[in-house]
Amino acid sequence: MFKRIAVMMLATLGLNALAADDGKVKTLLKQADEYRLALDSGRVETEVRSFKAGALDKTRLYAVYLKPGHRSLVLFRTASERGQKMLMLGDDYWLMMPSSQRPLRITPMQKLLGEASTGDIATMTWGEDYDGTVSGEETIDGVPCLKLDLTGQRKGVSYPRIVLYLSKKDRHPVQAELYVASDKLAKLARFTLGTVEGRKQVTVMTLIDHLQKERSTEVHYLSRSDKTLSDDYFNPAFLVRADLPQ
Amino acid sequence: MKALRRHGRLLLLLATAALFGSSGWADAEGGATELGWTTRLVGEGHELRRDSPFAAGLPLTGFGRDRYRIEQELRGRAGPVSLLLTATESGQEGAKPNGRFLANEAYVDFSLGGQRVSAGKKVLAGDVGYAFRPIDVLQRESRMQMMPPQLEGIPMLSWDNFTTDGAWSLVIANPGHQKRGEARDDGSVALKLYRRITSADFHGVLRKSTRYGLEAGAATSWVPDEALELHASLLVQTRGERRLPMADTVPVAALLAADGAIATETVNSPRKALVGGTWTTAEGFSLLGEAWWDGTAPVATDWQRLARQAAQRAALLGLPGVPAAAVAGATAASTRMFDQGNLPRRGLLARLAWSEPGGGWSLSADLLRSLDDDGTTLTAAASWQGDRLRLDAGIRRYGGRVDSAYRLLPEAATAFVGVSLAY
Repeated sequence: MFKRIAVMMLATLGLNALAADDGKVKTLLKQADEYRLALDSGRVETEVRSFKAGALDKTRLYAVYLKPGHRSLVLFRTASERGQKMLMLGDDYWLMMPSSQRPLRITPMQKLLGEASTGDIATMTWGEDYDGTVSGEETIDGVPCLKLDLTGQRKGVSYPRIVLYLSKKDRHPVQAELYVASDKLAKLARFTLGTVEGRKQVTVMTLIDHLQKERSTEVHYLSRSDKTLSDDYFNPAFLVRADLPQ
Repeated sequence: MKALRRHGRLLLLLATAALFGSSGWADAEGGATELGWTTRLVGEGHELRRDSPFAAGLPLTGFGRDRYRIEQELRGRAGPVSLLLTATESGQEGAKPNGRFLANEAYVDFSLGGQRVSAGKKVLAGDVGYAFRPIDVLQRESRMQMMPPQLEGIPMLSWDNFTTDGAWSLVIANPGHQKRGEARDDGSVALKLYRRITSADFHGVLRKSTRYGLEAGAATSWVPDEALELHASLLVQTRGERRLPMADTVPVAALLAADGAIATETVNSPRKALVGGTWTTAEGFSLLGEAWWDGTAPVATDWQRLARQAAQRAALLGLPGVPAAAVAGATAASTRMFDQGNLPRRGLLARLAWSEPGGGWSLSADLLRSLDDDGTTLTAAASWQGDRLRLDAGIRRYGGRVDSAYRLLPEAATAFVGVSLAY
């Protein structure tokens, strides 16, 4: 009898610990997200520099509009891609090429294969999409970090598993291991902090490709603003309209 | 065509006026003048079929003569006006270079009393397929062209409405026009519908025009898992048109009349349909398969009759009292049969492509097969996209059964190289 009560108490304690851990991870992710996008909705200007064997291969410019509910609209702004738009609504994606002027539904796989993987620039937060556990502590580049094992909470996330390292001191993201569906390590992300309008923000995310060894990418966050678009703009049929603020 | 060009120039003037007169609107919307310039050079080579039954008329046609095209393209937005302007010089063998300036698009998308409106000349493409687009009833884009020029928009006025998961648009295309030479230039009114249900898109269209009466179409594109996309499209017309060679029963003398070489026949309640899908792998490979039916396309016996009549005309050459010019003219006129969207009524497309993950190289191989007459078209193409520079190259070969539509084409093969530079 005493043994059974002890087991039940331990189980209850374990569940409470898990729940506490779950809440803690969500809080940690929210704190980390503040360094990437401290807004529910907004516009982020990014410059993506792709490197091949260490040499700069391409530079691309994007304007990304983000809204709650996993909605993002990417406007391609480089000369060779001008007029392209990609809309992401949860797990559904559309691409509009200026030469055809019709929104084309694409698969998650086609989205992943695109230039600079638009998912990398359109995903600015983890809190909404991931959950997991704190699995330990490690020091990365001299920064004592909490190690978080995260699992995607919806099927449309670019990386179903992430191992994220957050600074123990202020919870800023230091490094992330990004795994694809086959659980292969696809990319290693490193985060560089800078001071933007008096706040510490991630200014550069460097992605080292582990599937294509010679490739790496730097995502430079040029500006963040609270400029938002009405819901109409996040309708696939709206992509053919040109009254998008550029 | 002249009217269209005149219209294009008029719209361009309007656009230019808006550019200099409406910057306040652009500022209010957060927009600004943002124009991109692209220079494109396309070189072409063609191999004419030596044993073509149309050989006598080919010098009077454009078959095999295109050599190059130099395009200057200005695309973007000037204040409230979206623009696509092209200036093209094209060269044909044995002819002086031809220059053309065109406002492909010049339109304004704006809100009026809370309603979304578009006005001007705009590309109105639609549908979900690759090889054939049955419900593309407004733009009527030619498909499967190699390195095609930019699409030219249609003068239009539309009222667009958007809901959370859907949209509808009422479009007046080519306002003031009735029936014109080409169906895309006809005046028409269309209602376009869109609805998104989970991982599927549904499109609908209703169009009314003098030429075709009422056309009703529906299409869907569905992504059932992360690598697969499936699509289908169906159009029903009150009436359609199809081109066919003159009847076999006409007197021999009629074979020499260019005017009657090709006739247009009205088809009652034709249907057009396409089904297909794309499968993509993580390594960048994709396989596209499509099958279609076009109730207004010629059937195998039409092509056989065309070939027979071409041979009969060729046999008249050299006979006393038969002017060679008449034979050539009528034979050339009969090649207008090739100038239509789908050559076979039933077709299959298989397309294997590879795109370098992250961009760069793309390779593709297409096999287009006619189920009516066993004709085939094989295409291989490659492209490379750099920061500003883009290179394209490709080759296409036509073949199959001797009397099939693709094998009857006066060209046996065509190849191209393209260089584009974007600023």
